[in-house]
This record gives sequence, structure tokens and C-alpha cells, in this order.
Amino acid sequence: MRRTEGTAVGKIDQFESVFRAASKSVFEFEPVEIRSVLVITDLGEREADRMGHDVQQFLRVIDGPDVAWRVVKGEEFGTVPTLLELVEAVQPDLLVTYRHLHSESWQWPYTLGEYVDVLTQVTTTPVIVLPHPRAQRASEHAIQKTGRVMAMTDHLVGDHRLVNWAVRFTEPQGRLHLAHVQDETQFERFMDVIGRIASIDTEAAHQDIMERLLSEPRDYIQSCRATLEAAGVPIAVESSVTIGRRLRECEKFIEDQQVDLLLFNTKDEDQLAMHGLAYPLAIELRQIPLLML
Amino acid sequence: MITIQASHAAVHQVPLQTTLLFAAILVALIASLAMEEKLHAKKSLIVGLFAAFCLVLGDILLELPLGPYDIGGQMINLPVYIPAIDWGVIAIILGASLFVDVTSRSGLFTWIAIKLTKVSKGDPLILLWLYGLMTVVFSAVLNNVTAMIIVGSLSAVSLGRLKRSKMLLGFLMIEGLLTNVGGLLTLISSVPNIIVGTAAGISFVTFFLKASPYVVVASIITIMMGARFFGIVRLQSEEERTESARMIEGFDERDGIESQAFFWFAVFMLMAFIVAMAAVSATPVISDLGMGFVAITFALVMLIRYKHEADEFYKAIDWDLLGFFAALFVVINIMEHAQVLALIGKGLERIIALGSTTGTAAVLVAAAGFSSVTDNIPLAAMLAKIITGIPAPDGGVRLASDPLWWSVIFGANLGGNLTPIGSASTLVAVTIMHKHKIPMSFGGFVRIAAPFAAVQILLALAYVLIFL
Repeated sequence: MRRTEGTAVGKIDQFESVFRAASKSVFEFEPVEIRSVLVITDLGEREADRMGHDVQQFLRVIDGPDVAWRVVKGEEFGTVPTLLELVEAVQPDLLVTYRHLHSESWQWPYTLGEYVDVLTQVTTTPVIVLPHPRAQRASEHAIQKTGRVMAMTDHLVGDHRLVNWAVRFTEPQGRLHLAHVQDETQFERFMDVIGRIASIDTEAAHQDIMERLLSEPRDYIQSCRATLEAAGVPIAVESSVTIGRRLRECEKFIEDQQVDLLLFNTKDEDQLAMHGLAYPLAIELRQIPLLML
Repeated sequence: MITIQASHAAVHQVPLQTTLLFAAILVALIASLAMEEKLHAKKSLIVGLFAAFCLVLGDILLELPLGPYDIGGQMINLPVYIPAIDWGVIAIILGASLFVDVTSRSGLFTWIAIKLTKVSKGDPLILLWLYGLMTVVFSAVLNNVTAMIIVGSLSAVSLGRLKRSKMLLGFLMIEGLLTNVGGLLTLISSVPNIIVGTAAGISFVTFFLKASPYVVVASIITIMMGARFFGIVRLQSEEERTESARMIEGFDERDGIESQAFFWFAVFMLMAFIVAMAAVSATPVISDLGMGFVAITFALVMLIRYKHEADEFYKAIDWDLLGFFAALFVVINIMEHAQVLALIGKGLERIIALGSTTGTAAVLVAAAGFSSVTDNIPLAAMLAKIITGIPAPDGGVRLASDPLWWSVIFGANLGGNLTPIGSASTLVAVTIMHKHKIPMSFGGFVRIAAPFAAVQILLALAYVLIFL
């Protein structure tokens, strides 16, 4: 797609593109502090305590003498406003729960249930959604450890918050997979439009745009690796940058790599509902814990 | 030396009314070029139409040397407009622009630009000095338009990254004003230099040695004035310095380098190009073939890397500019036959006769004033031809060391800084401003640029009169 204008305007644009491409986003490492964790269950006292213990064991990477753990039992709330009041009172740094609280809908894997639906959007606190305790859908390695953590997005470049949280949850000597999956359907739609514009070389455009879309997240991941290494964080950073059907790629990756925890963003600045990629991920990936930011 | 001469060429008397008619056509051409933007027409088309009209009228009213031509003893049929063109100049411009375009694909220029950006650590004043230096050097080595495009677009991106886009106006203005100063550094830095320098017989090395002291002083003064005028100062706090350094670290100078081997080859070729250009007049064989040959040969060698897509580079050549030159040479040739240049020469002789000081100064100021409102290339081409025909004070041929040549060179280059249409590079600066939504009118530009241009022209006057 080499531009061939001999005009000044064409060349200005050409050089601005070159310089913009050279202007890269560099990862900014900022350790995440977690001092209070709220585990929300709809269980009786004994089961809730057991679950709290399991979660604390699972998230031992964030545990420490300064971290306060509080387990909410089923009898402590009966409506969404009551739960929100409870969360507001504790003001935790992290919420841990599962889908379909106080509901039998867990049998039909098509929603998150009203409590988690509202929690993930109303509070700014990150929420870990565990596989439902009764649904028997959890992978064998789920809720054991966080040795393999994956942060997944379709726009990784510059998302320091997502990476910092993922770093916080990766156990020492563990592996952090930073995954950027470019949506194939969307890409093909644009290519289809470009294919109908006579002034653009379709084949060159396909190649150049694809190359640029994938090289930027790769460069960013490289900067994450370098920054974490320089900061002495003892984890291995793996890169997974690809184009495809996002949900399918994610499922395949989780299966292949036996991922223990998946992180992704759920909020967009300009909308209240969960953004496009997050909702299907939250609904369909029921076999491992999900950390929704 | 091979001479080209029409078989029946002779000097003919031209009636005054015919000369005045062609002079009117020349004025119309200059006015049309000044209104290029308003006419929404490319330079090559404007001058091409005038050239076609002049040829027809010239064939009817003048005794044009129509050929066949005696070229080294062989009679060859050529259309009259072919020997009218200075192909040496066209070859330099074609070869140099092609060489620069292919070399820029190596990532060399962007590597230099980003490396300097990182050296500044994001401090605006250091950035201004480094970008100023880069503008001057790129204008000298490449050309002023390419320099403005590279440094101007980098300024927009880097100031955006530093969240200091408000300073973009100041940076672009200073860089625009420096392109025409840097354009004075070497014989091939600007087209007026090539035309006047070639006509005067000034060598590459002599040109550099005579022009460089002025370029250094004028650049320093321009940057200092600019920093003061636009309030560009050093970062004050340690916190600001750390934050800016962090922001600028995100630039990756290696991003544009496709191949390390080609990058280093480009470094070698660029240095060899400068050396070869400097040594043309002293190199046997090459001195016969000229600078245009050197430029085109270097471009062809660079193109080997892209042999399968060389046509893409041919498409990127500024054919409008080359067409403009070719047509302009034809118009000037006709004007010469119509005795228009002789008429202007008589007027110029009166100015020159004011004395070596006043006359030389008047030529410089007049050249600057003229090139501020229209293209400096026709001016340079015309004056070069006219001055060649005016004998030196001792009655002999005007030597390369004659300050009159330098008056034209300095005036034609620096006059471009007075208005946004005075030179292609200041027009590029304004284009980048508009692209980034910075309002800049003709009057607004003149108000800001006039003090800078005045200082540069006064400095040039003093330099030409005292040192040259």
C-alpha cells in the first residue's frame, strides 16, 4: 500500500505515519496493592467458610499479613441493593464470587445472574468469578493455583492496568500470557470495504494492516517483558498475538496452556453495559476463574 | 567541448514592441505563478501552457534557431524546445530526489530524527535546538522541502507525545525559516543555488566554504530569536524532566529499519554521495559528465535494492516540479531570443552601476523582495542568464568570486522567508500547521516571519559586502 504521491501533503502524511509507528507505548509497571478481599457466596456458614478457605489458598499469591479476608454468607443479602450496600461498607480491593447467586439458573449457562451482572458494572472493584460450586464445569486444575495467568484483550497496547493486575496474580516463577486477539470478522469486514475502493491496493493493504495490527501488541509485550525483568519480577512473560474468532481462540488457548486465571476488561468509558468481548467471555468460559476488571 | 548550435543560428534585431509583448507575457507568467493556489493549477501546467504559447508566438515573430543542430560536428534534428532546456539542472534534481527517496526507505533519516529526539529527553528548548540543527543539515544534504516534511512531521508527532502540541506553531515557524537558511549551505541544497552556482561556475567546495559561516550564524540567531518569541524554555522541575524523558523513551528509532544491511549501505552511500558531489569538478571523467550524472548514478545504485518495484519510486518523483523546470527553461530561452532578458539586464546594469556596495546590496534586497511573492526559481534562472551577459567592471567575464552571484543566491533563498508562498518549504510548514488545525493566514505568517527574515537579510547583506 505504498503511497506514491509526489505531493507535499502525501509525503507529510507518509512521514507522520512513519514517526507515529515509531512512537510506541511502553509498559508502565505499577505494583497493585490488595489489602482487602471480599468473598461473596450464597452458601450456609460451614460451606461458605470452606469456600473462603479454598479461595484464600487459591489466591495465596496476594495473601499476606496485611490482607483482610471477609466471607459473605448467603443469609447476609437477599437483594441486589443489600449486596451493593454490603460491598460499599467493606470497600474491598477485590471481590470474589460466582455466577447465579441465590438462583437455580446456573443449570442454564446463558447469563451471569443478576447479582454478578450488576456487581461487575456498578462497582469499580475488580471481580473474580469462579466456576459455580455445584455446576461441575470447572477444569481439573481450576481454583488450585495461579501459576499460569492470562490477560486477554483485543486492544492490549497501552493497557497498563490490565497487565499490572495480571502480574499481581501470577505466582513467582509462574507464566503470564499476554494475549491480543484481533477480531477476524471485523478485520475481514474492513478488508472487504477496502477491496471495493479502486485507489487502494487490496492485497498490499491486507498485508500492511495485518502486519501493523499485530506488530504493535508484540512490541508492547516486549516492553512488558523488559520492564518486569528490570523491576526484578520473577515471572516469565509469554506473548500470544493473533487474529481469529476471539472466543474460540481464547477457549483453545485456555485448554492448550491449562490457564489458571483469565483476566479481561469489562468496562468501556462510554457505556454502562459490559463491552462487546467481555460478556461472551464471562458467559461461556465457565471452566476457570475469571478476573473481570 | 561539444557545442550545440543551430545551423543557421544568428543574432537578429527584435523590434521593441515585440520585446515588450514578450515582457508582458513574462509578467503574466510570474503573476500566474504567484496566484498558483488561487488558480488551483499545478506549476508545470501553468508554465507549460505559457511555454507552448511562447513557442508559437516566437516562431511567428522571432527568428528561432530551429535546427538542425551541430552537435560535435554532427548535424542532428531536434525540436527547438529540447536544447532550450538545461538538462544538467534537470538531471541533478531528478537524480537527487530519487536518491533521497530511495535512501529514506532505509529508515536512515527517521533513525537520525528519532535519535536526536531521544537525546533531548523531551526538553522543549533542547528539542528546538536539535530540530533546528537537523532542519539546516537536512535542507543542505537533501533539499529544503524534504527537510521540512521530515522535521515538521516529527515535530507534530513528538510534541503530541510530549503533550506540548501548543508549541507546534513555534517549532514549525522556526523550522520553516531555517529550511531556507540551510538551503544556502551547499551548491545542491536548493534549485536557485544549482542554477546560479552552475551559471557562475562556483564549485561545490567553494560554495560550501563561502556559505557555511553565514549559515551557522544565521541559524543560531534564528533559533535564539524563535525561542524567545514563542516562549520555548527549558523544563523547570525534576518531575517534569523525568516525565518528559519517560514519554520520549517510547520512540523506537529502529522501527523504520527494514534491513540492517540496507541501512548501513544507505549510510555509506549518503556519505559517498556528498563526497562525490563535492569532488565532481576535481574528478577526471566525472567532471565531464557533471553532477546530474553523479546524482542519477547514485539513485540507480540505491534502486538495485528495490529492483522489482523501481517503478513505484518513479511514480513518486515530483513530475510537476520537473515539468515546471523544463517548461520554465523553454520560456526563458524564448525570452532571451525576444531580447526581454537583455531589456531587464539593462535595468539591472543600472542597479549594479550604483557601485560595488550599493549595487550589490540593491540586487540582494530586490532578489529577496521578488522571491518573497513569487517562485524564486524563475528569478534565479533569469538573473543567472542576465548576469552572465553583463560584463564585469573590468570589461571581462564575471568571475565565480563576484559578489553579485552571491547577492542573487542569498536574496533568492532568504526572500522565501518573508511570506508563506515565498518558498516551497515555508508552504509545507503552513500545510502542516493547517493539518494540525493551527490557523495561519497569509498576513499572520508575514507578521511573525518578517522580523526573522529582516534579520537574516540584513545579516546576509553585511556578510556579502564585508566577506565575499
